[in-house]
Amino acid sequence: MGEAARQAVAETVAVRSQRFGDYEVPAERILRFPEGLVGFPEARHFVLLESSHAGSPFRYLLCLDLPELGFVVCDAAHVCPGYVADVPRPAEVPVEDLAVLALVTVPADPCHMTANLMAPLLVDCRSGRGRQVVLDTGRHPIRYPLLAPPVRP
Amino acid sequence: MLVLTRRLGEVIRVGDNVTVRVLEVKGNQVRLGVEAPADVRIYREEVYRAIRKENEEAALQKPSSLDEVTTTWEKQRDKP
Repeated sequence: MGEAARQAVAETVAVRSQRFGDYEVPAERILRFPEGLVGFPEARHFVLLESSHAGSPFRYLLCLDLPELGFVVCDAAHVCPGYVADVPRPAEVPVEDLAVLALVTVPADPCHMTANLMAPLLVDCRSGRGRQVVLDTGRHPIRYPLLAPPVRP
Repeated sequence: MLVLTRRLGEVIRVGDNVTVRVLEVKGNQVRLGVEAPADVRIYREEVYRAIRKENEEAALQKPSSLDEVTTTWEKQRDKP
């Protein structure tokens, strides 16, 4: 890699957030959602923060346009085996570059958290482009329970 | 609101690139065929509203909820 390219990669974007403070994000880690998310058309740039727990299927999707906006997301393949086969893959994205993430809704009691499998986020990890797609097939619920219900005695 | 009357097979055009054709009318149901560029998102209204509502409920979580969620998940997974 030449010096110019190295500098380009090292570029960072400053984010200011009342809730999370000021910090910098490397430009190459920014995910671009040109259409925003459903209901959040202005939320177009995100960064994925890893969990400190090794092997966790969860990550935090922070919006850079609206720094107060953030989502817990999960790796859909990890939480629902067979699911990814039902997700229409964009023709231009090889399967190994495609990440399928589901937005996680966390109620007051996190034991009842659910993943939105009806409207997953598809991210091309190579280009950093993403899109929220809607699977209007009736096969995948908008609230997929992530934890088994407690066993009643 | 613009109101138009169309017969079976007739088309409404929205802008240069979107058409809506009446395909079938049966009782109180109408089947419509929408042709639009791939980047135009088309939803049934109730599906759009449900997903927008779920997105809004999933939003506005603090980064600390990532740890909470992961811990809850691990606890359940490690149960015998």
